[in-house]
Amino acid sequence: MMLSRIADSLFWIGRYMERADNTARILDVNYHMLLEQPPDTYKLRWDPLIAITGERTRFYQRFDEANAHTAFDYLGYSEDNPNSIAQCIILARENARTIRDRISRELWEDINGLYHKINKLRDEGEGLSRFCDAVKRGGHRFHGVCDATLARDEGWHFLLAGCALERAEMTARILDVHYHQLVEGPEILNEARSHAWVAVLKSVAAYEFYKRQHSHIEPTHVAQLLLLDPRHPRSVRFNLGVLQNSLYAISGSVPGSYANEAERLTGRAHESLTYDSIDEIFTGGLHDYLEEMQATCRTIGAHISQTYLYYAVS
Amino acid sequence: MFEGYDPGTFYDEFVGPDGTPRPESAAMHDILAAMPLDVFEERRQLADLSYLVQGITFTVYSDGRGTERLFPFDLVPRIIPRNEWDVIEKGLAQRVMALNFYLQDIYGKQRILKDKVIPRQLVQSCKHFRREMMGLNVPRDIYVHICGTDLVRDSRTGEYLVLEDNARSPSGISYVLENRLVMRRTFARAFEVSEVMPVDHYPNELGKILRSLSPRSGDRPVVVLLTPGLYNSAYFEHCFLAQEMGIELVEGRDLVVVDDVVYMKTIHGLTRVDVIYRRVDDDFLDPLAFRADSLVGVPGLMNAYRAGNIALANAVGTGVADDKAIYAFVPEFIRYYLGEEPILKNVDTYLCSRPDHLSYVLDHLSELVVKAVGESGGYGMLMGPSADKKTIEDFRARLKADPRNYIAQPVIPLSRCPSFDPATGMMSPRHIDLRPYCLYDGEKVTIVPGGLTRVALQKGSLVVNSSQGGGSKDTWVLRGNEGGIEA
Repeated sequence: MMLSRIADSLFWIGRYMERADNTARILDVNYHMLLEQPPDTYKLRWDPLIAITGERTRFYQRFDEANAHTAFDYLGYSEDNPNSIAQCIILARENARTIRDRISRELWEDINGLYHKINKLRDEGEGLSRFCDAVKRGGHRFHGVCDATLARDEGWHFLLAGCALERAEMTARILDVHYHQLVEGPEILNEARSHAWVAVLKSVAAYEFYKRQHSHIEPTHVAQLLLLDPRHPRSVRFNLGVLQNSLYAISGSVPGSYANEAERLTGRAHESLTYDSIDEIFTGGLHDYLEEMQATCRTIGAHISQTYLYYAVS
Repeated sequence: MFEGYDPGTFYDEFVGPDGTPRPESAAMHDILAAMPLDVFEERRQLADLSYLVQGITFTVYSDGRGTERLFPFDLVPRIIPRNEWDVIEKGLAQRVMALNFYLQDIYGKQRILKDKVIPRQLVQSCKHFRREMMGLNVPRDIYVHICGTDLVRDSRTGEYLVLEDNARSPSGISYVLENRLVMRRTFARAFEVSEVMPVDHYPNELGKILRSLSPRSGDRPVVVLLTPGLYNSAYFEHCFLAQEMGIELVEGRDLVVVDDVVYMKTIHGLTRVDVIYRRVDDDFLDPLAFRADSLVGVPGLMNAYRAGNIALANAVGTGVADDKAIYAFVPEFIRYYLGEEPILKNVDTYLCSRPDHLSYVLDHLSELVVKAVGESGGYGMLMGPSADKKTIEDFRARLKADPRNYIAQPVIPLSRCPSFDPATGMMSPRHIDLRPYCLYDGEKVTIVPGGLTRVALQKGSLVVNSSQGGGSKDTWVLRGNEGGIEA
């Protein structure tokens, strides 16, 4: 027996924690990569970051230029940005606090601890690097504490579904924005371009895994890994697989069938990622493919909500 | 830390008038006295950290950002010897039984009004009297399942007195349990040498009573705790109790009433609910029956209650028992319903609704404590001796305008207990009270030994409420009359 409101909170704890972690990753990697780059690429490389978080409009209402300072301000702590790292952590904590009787004490103390930690870093005026580091460690600890202390009941699957859906959409967006900039965007130095792809891989913790398979940085290979590889925990395919399993666990459906629209769409997207080749995807246009994948993720989220969380009582 | 500690003219719970430790506190006194200041400080910070990490905080919204504050915890325990506790326990049991008989009578045959033991007018003018409860049969005839009664010790006589009853939804029990947990961690040694009675069984006892109220047969009734939500100051406690009892914590929006049956919304549809431990006030419980602007209630809940499909704890309308004017008559209830003499005395109380009392009160405002009858938490209160002239005149006008709404009591010189004063690094005496939590199952009253000791941390202050700068202490009831077994 699980209250809809509690399932909703678990789902969003998963999403917010994942969003905070992803945002910290892209901020941190970008910052370190650009420390050794010429200033003209500098400008070019902060704007995509804002685009990834879907915050361009609101950002440019506040700032004239995207640079390390303004990006950190806006994506890190800003109260005007509902998707800033601090806001995500506040919301994850609010949700955890609402259902603290349903999660392990360890998980609550962990999320609460992270909240106090980032407040402390802000009060001490800590820079981007240590802040992002704290958030990333917090994200890893979050997954560890969940794994080690939560019962594998329906609540677990809502939490997992939230994480997987958020991560799938985020990876698709990271790839989309960077590909657009690096391949179709203005001409920049080859060396800078290669650096940028390395940064993309690092921001999803896939650099080492990539290097074991390919000696050169090649956009097609990067896209192949981030989209289609079933082994890497940040690839879109991997995460839609996790999502599909969790949705099955919640409804009791068996593979090859579906009980609701969320399951049908997840299954279809997962099939496509399983059987489409990267060449086919490029032929049809990577951008369109990624755009559709992101739209599907959003629709799946809406259907999960309608099916389990906010249904009408007759 | 006890050097120069002066119990003064008040009854001190820790040391006798000559400054030597009382037998029940001797063991703890020796441990504290032998502890270097830096070790004590370190433990104090550990304790504070433990509350912060767990998020046992309340939110102060005065600065706009919502700052979370700790409810200050004082590491010096309040120690009660067994023989004193036995008296308190019997006295409270008697009182809670009488309150229940009174409520059953008031919402039933009203014998006590016909026999003129208490004026009908006083009862029916009570803000918390619920006409909707007349003739409604509550499960197992229990109205007050949980009662938190505030006791104080009068320094002049050393006697415990009842200051007020909280028969609606008393809060604070989670602090009793958490304080104990923290104390066990920080002063394990003290527990080794003192035989302290456990308190951890409270949620279990409460859970048993709640399950017994189910209107449906079957051995697995669905019990839920109804909370106003995250922004309620007692939200931590609601979570804590739900978790400890293994019941669902619900908000009004989780519940729905269909054909006078209460259900909760789950991911797989509606599930029937049998018992609600509600921590939402009567006024906000059901927007169809009470305040229509309530966003935290459940529309139609009162109809389900009337139809006998749901049990509520505490029952609706129990505020007619803990009203501060009704309080003055509780000793009479004990005599009337139980045929016994009250074991615990009341504080003398002037009812401003009585013209003779009112004129006395108006003449002695600067010596008395004046309280609004339906308020709690230290709000709507005048402390005569420390109030300025303007405040006193303000209350004088309020009393004249609405005498029924006020009572007055003499200022009781509350007993004191040492508290650590971070400013001086020394122990200083501070005033305290005691709120034990009584559970009534329809036959007997169960009280976990001890309760919440609240302390007025400001020097000289007699107001212990958390909203007014109070803190809390762990309360130890000893198995015997002296603290300390020979090692």
